[in-house]
Amino acid sequence: MPALFSNPRFQTPNPHSVIRDPQSPLGFVTAYVPEELFHAAGFTPVFIFHTSSDHGQARSHLPGFTCWAAGSVLDQALSGCLDRLTGIALAKTCDTVQGLVDLWQRNVPSMPCFHVGMPVRLDSPTARAYLLTELDDLRQRIQAQGGRAISDDDLWESIALYNQTRTLVRQVYAHAADLAPPDLYELVRAAFQTPKRLYNDNLTRLLSQPFLPPDQKTPDHSVSILLVGSELGDPILFDVLAHVGVRVVGDLLDLGERYVAVDSVMDGDPLAALADRLLALLPTPTQHHPQRSRSAHLLALVRERDADGVILARQKFCDPHGFDHVQLTQTLAQAQVPYLTLELEQASQAGQLCTRVEAFVEMITQVGG
Amino acid sequence: MSTYPRLQSLREINRVMTRYYLQHKLTARFKPLAYITSGAPVEILEALGIATLYPENYGALCGARKAAVGLCEVAEAAGYPADLCSYARAHVGAVLRPQDAPLRGMPRPDLLVCCTNICGTVLKWYQALAALYDIPLFILDVPFQRTTPAEPHIITYVVAQMHEFVDWLEAHTSRRLRPEQLASVIALSRQAIALWEEILELGQHRPSPVNGPDLFVAMAPVVALRGTQRAVDCYQSLKSELEQRIAQGVGAVPGERHRLLWDNIAVWHRLYRFFRPFMDAGACFVADTYTHAWTVQLDAEDPFVGMAQAYTGVFINLNLPTRLQTITDLARRFQVDGMVMHANRSCKPFSITQSDVRDELRDVLGLPVLILETDMADSRLHNEGATRERVAAFLEIL
Repeated sequence: MPALFSNPRFQTPNPHSVIRDPQSPLGFVTAYVPEELFHAAGFTPVFIFHTSSDHGQARSHLPGFTCWAAGSVLDQALSGCLDRLTGIALAKTCDTVQGLVDLWQRNVPSMPCFHVGMPVRLDSPTARAYLLTELDDLRQRIQAQGGRAISDDDLWESIALYNQTRTLVRQVYAHAADLAPPDLYELVRAAFQTPKRLYNDNLTRLLSQPFLPPDQKTPDHSVSILLVGSELGDPILFDVLAHVGVRVVGDLLDLGERYVAVDSVMDGDPLAALADRLLALLPTPTQHHPQRSRSAHLLALVRERDADGVILARQKFCDPHGFDHVQLTQTLAQAQVPYLTLELEQASQAGQLCTRVEAFVEMITQVGG
Repeated sequence: MSTYPRLQSLREINRVMTRYYLQHKLTARFKPLAYITSGAPVEILEALGIATLYPENYGALCGARKAAVGLCEVAEAAGYPADLCSYARAHVGAVLRPQDAPLRGMPRPDLLVCCTNICGTVLKWYQALAALYDIPLFILDVPFQRTTPAEPHIITYVVAQMHEFVDWLEAHTSRRLRPEQLASVIALSRQAIALWEEILELGQHRPSPVNGPDLFVAMAPVVALRGTQRAVDCYQSLKSELEQRIAQGVGAVPGERHRLLWDNIAVWHRLYRFFRPFMDAGACFVADTYTHAWTVQLDAEDPFVGMAQAYTGVFINLNLPTRLQTITDLARRFQVDGMVMHANRSCKPFSITQSDVRDELRDVLGLPVLILETDMADSRLHNEGATRERVAAFLEIL
């Protein structure tokens, strides 16, 4: 492994070690939380990925047909794993996350919960004004909850730092084919869990070195895929992909390439810069923009990266990705792009996933001759 | 097995609703037709003379007519995961294979109108319909109501979108919205809503003249025909019949012994059959959160602000403390002895916080609460044996 991986800052599967370290860690969930606002107030935003561990705390609050990505966050909170957080922020996405806001406020009352309204329609002429008011309101709420006053200068400084992070993560993705999937996503996930300056410094150093020694170059026959899904908190799939010898050359994950694709423009009003970036993103399946088709984007990505196929990994009971799956797979089928659908659960078994991915790879290599 | 008095007005409502579907089939060739979600401001379309149909209502119809499973399977074969909303799956199945659907499917729409105040599923469902039909889609984005009353900037946002919505409808139909026409439609909506609320309040009488499954059938006009004289007529008849029952001391469940509160959408695939064990035990569902959701009144003074406030404040778009207040208020006013909550696999906004609601009712009001997991339309997700046993145990506790 390259030396940079020996840096414990990039060992992210246990987010709690990261959470303990930074000043005023603040958890966040969903791909539309304006992290920069919290950062500018002195908080360290840390994404709460779901884990495969189940402490049994969420099951008594949530129906059995709730996706585990949300269930795990509540479980971690109720079992004390997140006690060191100074707050949690959730932006409007799906019905389950909306329910999570209610359950959090009722069952974890000691921890401030910041709900962020996010327009569903990203193309609406009125969405920007609404989002700006939401962000301004959020700024007041953060300040009232003990964060320091957020000046425009503070905010611009945070925005610049986050822009730098996004630039660096895009560079990581440019090297995606040279990295084993667990390493690729360890670097990506670290962007959401490591204090920003530290991450940027480490990643800048990392990217200044050759990624892999020549003898570790990716074998030419390796199958390359694009990965589609939500936040893929459980690293089990990445391990399976590595085991089977699949390379991920890009993704359509909620917290993946689409999230880092757009920077804030460093001009004018900083809140407007934040709002405009959120509105400019390729929508996740929970939001809507008639001119930004996810299926067209995916197909273009397949062509651009010369991917052999697509793996769609959906959390069971995730409604937005469930519907999205139909549109995406129809587009892929029409374009004759091989795809595999995987349904992930709290207790997904590596063996079963491995068998399915192996069969998929076999199918691709046979078709490819 | 006991017999239960049937409401004559429900027969008339069923006739009106059947005519409504058939009429729309006929007029779809001459009049623009929009599919619309149940929480959308239909008054604007009604005032423009645009016919409306509700895929959710049709999903319920598929469930009631035992057609949902076959249609869900059609959608699943087309790639829709089986854990998605059964209304959506059944309706998409009907679009893909109308020959197997009740009424041979719904007529093809010209426009799609999706309001996000009831769930996120409708966004995905209507996106799918827009792709299937290749027709224009308007999304009215109604943010979650975190406080009561709603924050002013949310109302401003919804009002602005409603004006955009009017422009969009006018552009697509070459019709003009006349303020006086909108005012008269809103007046009819207000009448229907007021009558509906009065009907629901009659459940406070002992014995209650109306039972939950009756209300689930009776609610169709306040959803699908609001803004029309037909809805007002339906509810005037129903209200008179219920008042007559009260005057005569007739209860919906003869020998009413227990008064219950229902939470969530109905179990359409076995509506009266599902409630039969309760009725046999003398238990009447005197109130429920589902039909109550259509009692939010429209403020006529400023029609757009009034609609924005009403459609933002629908029950399942409210935060948990406000919903809890509504539920505990219903429990107190209707003097219920317990609550049955339908953990509906197809409706996350209604279902996801139910365990906490149960705890609140148990701890604050001392009420027994039964949570039953099943589905509103997909009978494959219903376990008859387990349901029967749990209901029997609950009735014993009462």
